Amino acid sequence: MPDSAFDPTPDEEWAALMRRLRAQPPARPRPFFYARLTARLTAPVPARPMPLPAWLRRPAYAVLLGAVVLTLSGDGRVLPPLVLPAALGGSSVPPR
Amino acid sequence: MACSLPLLLTDDLQVDAPSGICSADAALVAALQRGSEAAFRALVEQYQDRIYGTVFSLLQNAEEAEDVAQEVFVEVYQTIARFRGEATLGTWLYRLATSRALKSLRKARAQKRFAFLTSLLSQPDNPRPDNIRPEPPDHAHPLALLEAQQQLQLLRVQVARLPEQQQVAFLLRHEQDLSYEQIAAVLGTSLSAVESLLFRARQTLRKRLQPHFRHA
Repeated sequence: MPDSAFDPTPDEEWAALMRRLRAQPPARPRPFFYARLTARLTAPVPARPMPLPAWLRRPAYAVLLGAVVLTLSGDGRVLPPLVLPAALGGSSVPPR
Repeated sequence: MACSLPLLLTDDLQVDAPSGICSADAALVAALQRGSEAAFRALVEQYQDRIYGTVFSLLQNAEEAEDVAQEVFVEVYQTIARFRGEATLGTWLYRLATSRALKSLRKARAQKRFAFLTSLLSQPDNPRPDNIRPEPPDHAHPLALLEAQQQLQLLRVQVARLPEQQQVAFLLRHEQDLSYEQIAAVLGTSLSAVESLLFRARQTLRKRLQPHFRHA
């Protein structure tokens, strides 16, 4: 004899599942939670990281970085001097 | 949120209640703001199970839940001076717990994505890092899923796939037994928004679990 008459409906199955969820034993922290918490609160605070990356704090790298910056930020001495055309009132002879 | 702190801090109870919170909460907050260790201990003992339970429901990992629950109480300890009583203490704690747990979940997902990317570049037999939680199985045999525990496990898997707000609302309602008003206070939203969140969460879960029910 088929037992379809005894099969729960989807609503009943859902309700039963929700009941089982509520009936689950609640999750609890391990014993001595407060002791572990106070240990964490009283533990020394780790030093805050420096604002600069470690490699930048090494003098050799800092000097190298400075040299690169100086090289790249040339003030025009390495470029040929600007020569204005005569029509604009400039000199055709480059200034010394 | 209803006051649920039967405190016995007799030296700390003569305090005027700020508006919005009950006198027991106010007394506890005042004692905490004065730096009372007894008050902090009372707070932790009153709320540790609920906070841990809420965090565990979201993370499904005991170690991470312990870590996040501790973070919640550390934050309370460090910021209680700025607590003005706009929400009840319980609401504030639940809010801290859910937001920190969700942050931890997002971090774990990001780590998982990063681990996936790096695994594409590494040898296939490399072991999985310990701090990455494996994805729970969601394709168990249908007959095995008829067992109650397995159905519950499947439910938890599907709850974890809900949008964050729906997930929190569902767990606070069905595992923590919070009222709609309490959930609205924790999520900082309206009562109708909570009803909508719970309706959509249940609808999605039922739809996803339907194939695994006995009648299907």
